[in-house]
Amino acid sequence: MPEILIQYQAEIVQSVGETFVMVGVSILAAILVGLPVGTLLFLCRKGSILENQFVFSTLNLLVNIIRSFPFLLLVVFLIPFTRIIIGTAIGTAAATVPLAIIAIAHYSRLVEQSLLDVPRGVIEAAISMGASVRQVIFKFLYVEARSGLVLGLTTSIISFISYSTIMGVVGGGGIGDFAIRYGYQQFKTELMMYMIIIMVIFVQLIQFTGMTVARRIDKR
Amino acid sequence: MIKLHQLSKKYEKFEAIQSVSLTVNKGEIHGIIGASGAGKSTLLRLMNLLEMPDTGEVEVDGQTLTKLKSRELRQARKSIGMIFQHFNLVANKTVYENVLVSLELSNVPRKERPGEVMECLRFVGLESLMGKYPAQLSGGQKQRVAIARALANKPKVLLCDEPTSSLDPNTTAEVLGVLENVNKSLGVTIVIVSHEMDVIKSICTKVTVMANGKVYETLATKPQGIQKMDNHPQYFVEQLIKEQMDHA
Repeated sequence: MPEILIQYQAEIVQSVGETFVMVGVSILAAILVGLPVGTLLFLCRKGSILENQFVFSTLNLLVNIIRSFPFLLLVVFLIPFTRIIIGTAIGTAAATVPLAIIAIAHYSRLVEQSLLDVPRGVIEAAISMGASVRQVIFKFLYVEARSGLVLGLTTSIISFISYSTIMGVVGGGGIGDFAIRYGYQQFKTELMMYMIIIMVIFVQLIQFTGMTVARRIDKR
Repeated sequence: MIKLHQLSKKYEKFEAIQSVSLTVNKGEIHGIIGASGAGKSTLLRLMNLLEMPDTGEVEVDGQTLTKLKSRELRQARKSIGMIFQHFNLVANKTVYENVLVSLELSNVPRKERPGEVMECLRFVGLESLMGKYPAQLSGGQKQRVAIARALANKPKVLLCDEPTSSLDPNTTAEVLGVLENVNKSLGVTIVIVSHEMDVIKSICTKVTVMANGKVYETLATKPQGIQKMDNHPQYFVEQLIKEQMDHA
């Protein structure tokens, strides 16, 4: 192993850990909140089974606004909110707040798109069989859209990694922050390159896993 | 079995169904025929309220569907099966799972489900394909799976929306044979919407001719020979199509 990596081993391990925490929380937020929000966007749109102009417009606007922010500005903008929730605006825990919010907005859009790909006829068949809204969602929509949902999550996770790299501005740490502070600001270009290699490996692994899973579960 | 009373349905300004009343008796195979845009599919979709009428009442098996609450309507729909031109199977479920989902929706006890699924698949002759996915099946096989799925809830009525329109002549005959069997051996009342006269001729016992959102005429097709030739539905349909072409 290159000497410089051994020299900074402790810091690197810690940074990787911080990245895992930040991306992990983002993934959780995406699944626990982004998936329901995306589903609601789909169900409430005009002509869909829960058509509701108010809910649709509100969610749609909110998601658009969050996604309009340059992410760095969103982080700064959310500082007061983060303080209320976490008690501080600095550190890895505080960094998870804006990350979770952008994760929800990001994934909910991709969920909505995947659900729009489900043939209308399948939903009609479900309704004609007497399915309730909940049954339509879990027994038909998610089953039919599952590979799209996985691919969307894959794309989202890779974006979350990218978003997490700038969390150094609020002391969030992570590999990206490490690469900038040690590699760029202290002119240790070699160290920066190694960090980039680590990120490339992560992204490759996630993309490969996502594609493989999506292919396996797609029977269409 | 099905009574439509003074149904009307508008899309924006287009009057798809104009004050239509129609009775389908128990045990019939009732065909609905007409040129495209005549409103036949809309009329069928009104029978299980996939489309809501603007005015009028829909009664199926003694229940006035238009007066039911959504929970009751869902319950009522379980005894009204429906199959579609494009089959509308869940592509990510196997043949077995596609039929099973029907029973899951109806809270059939878990232990009884496998037996009932197999019974339905046997009825349509597909038990050997239970592990396949729809993408691995032919069109005729897909439609038979859809029929099995519709039968799982032991419906009293089966609504068929252009069931053979995306099939070739051989598989059409195969699917029609299954439908006829559903009617004869299970006593299910069947309504078939089709623009193909052959479909109507081969299995329907009654036919309703539609044009421009209205019912033009309802006729018995069997026993044949009793009516004069100019009373035969085919004659009417051909006249009708000719008329419409002349107008266009």
